[in-house]
Amino acid sequence: MRVDLLPTEGGGTYRFVIILLAICGILISSLPVIVVTIMSFSAADNTGFPPEALSLRWYSEVIAMFTTEDANSAQSVVSSTITSLVVAVIVMVISTGVCIPLAYVLARGDRRIRSGMELLFTLPLVFPLVILGIAFLLIAESLRLDIGIWRIIIPHVALVLPFVLRNCLSAMSGISLEVEEAAVSLGASPLRAIWDIVIPMMKAGILAGLIFALIISFNEFTITFFMYTVDVSTLPIWMYSRTASSLDPSTLALSVFIIAADVVLIVLVDKLIAGRASLF
Amino acid sequence: MSLQLTKSKALAFSLPALIAILPFLGACFYIFRFSISGEQSRIEGFSIQPYVDLMTPYFGRSVWLTLRLAFIATILAMMMAVPLAFLLTSLRSPFARRSLTIVILLPLILNLLVQAYGWILLLGPSGVLNSTLRSLGIIERPIFLLFNETGVLLGLVQTSLPLAVFPIVSSVRGISREHLEAASSLGASHWRIFFDVTVPLLRPGLFGAASIVFAFNASAFAIPLLLGGRRVQMMGIAIRDMISPLFNWSGAAAAGMILIFVTMITMLFAAWLARITSEKVER
Repeated sequence: MRVDLLPTEGGGTYRFVIILLAICGILISSLPVIVVTIMSFSAADNTGFPPEALSLRWYSEVIAMFTTEDANSAQSVVSSTITSLVVAVIVMVISTGVCIPLAYVLARGDRRIRSGMELLFTLPLVFPLVILGIAFLLIAESLRLDIGIWRIIIPHVALVLPFVLRNCLSAMSGISLEVEEAAVSLGASPLRAIWDIVIPMMKAGILAGLIFALIISFNEFTITFFMYTVDVSTLPIWMYSRTASSLDPSTLALSVFIIAADVVLIVLVDKLIAGRASLF
Repeated sequence: MSLQLTKSKALAFSLPALIAILPFLGACFYIFRFSISGEQSRIEGFSIQPYVDLMTPYFGRSVWLTLRLAFIATILAMMMAVPLAFLLTSLRSPFARRSLTIVILLPLILNLLVQAYGWILLLGPSGVLNSTLRSLGIIERPIFLLFNETGVLLGLVQTSLPLAVFPIVSSVRGISREHLEAASSLGASHWRIFFDVTVPLLRPGLFGAASIVFAFNASAFAIPLLLGGRRVQMMGIAIRDMISPLFNWSGAAAAGMILIFVTMITMLFAAWLARITSEKVER
């Protein structure tokens, strides 16, 4: 008799309860996103459910928001989207740039140093985000730092380091020292061997790390909530200030664009690291 | 020429990453230093006054609420995470497995505002649930599920579920089917196998996942802010209020230290619990 954690035939109440709970989990995870997507196609002005008629009017409204000049440019959706993207791209480049050499050293070096460093670089993951936001705010305020967009970039880099390092490390794990030795014996310098042989072999892990950094920074809300200023504000903060009093359907259409972008990026990461590493 | 990793090369390669994490370490130190400052708005001298000032019924209620909500949300998330992990590991089609992974992972990564909009549309006074129940004639006035503890709990369960599912998936993969087959051939029922074989085998993974979920939920900020309104004063919100209307910076820092302390104690307790219970199994 074949026994499995999830019996395919029979199983009585056990199978029923397990499947019921799994369905609850799937519903809790997905219902909010599904409802946002459905309501964004509503033709009505309010957010009553179900929508009486379907239309794309909120999507054209979103496009209009992005194409027409807003008089109040400091608060406009265009400038906060640009800030969000610029921050996410810089965070992505810096975090991956510093993690590749570190992953190389950790993979080739002492085991004890490796576990210590891995622990150090996991800390931002378990540290409460509110506290981190407040700490960075206190530093910026009491030192009266005027560093523009970097007041958001610096905390974001710390936040994504654990994810990026983990991806780079698992990319390094399959690369043996012999490939470098072969390159050096053929006349390459040690640095050239790393640049031309090791880094191309790490490509999938590096790309996964880049995308992870991009997604996390682009969607980050809590730290940015403390660090934003009138001049430097991101898209999630713009959405928060717009919908603090009431919800309007054009924000839902904008949300659907964000959902679609996130799903595409997650699928990409999942493909890149398929079978070699877990997402955490 | 040798490819040995020299000390100077190792240092040069790890220096950029160390510089990148330095602001984080600085922030950790700064918040600690601020929490023992003698002044409320700047670092000046030493005092334990910020901690003493927190000993109020108001802050005590906030700590209790935080622990209670985080605990309930952790139990609920674990109850759904184990079946989801079973489902995820028993799916054969790669497409189904990939879709389920994305459905579970999305809430952790997606902009929290979008998810809050979703809950408001679902459970708000004119949302899906209320209008359905009203049109069926079951209720006359809308039931309030948002901007109270129920709304916050749902949001916490949703965002922390992936943190529970993925570690459990990797421990489920480690269970050998022979154990289950042995129990089954001896006549154990599915429930008996689940409680007497599967759960004990999964126990270290379960405790690990639960402690991460609990720590994540206890330090939640955006979910209570967006779904709790002003009535659900979890610690994250209470700390924000000390900063923003009150300008009590040292008090906020001290409250933050207490939050970090609470989450660390929980994680250590879970690790200890996992150790003593697994020793019992070995004996």
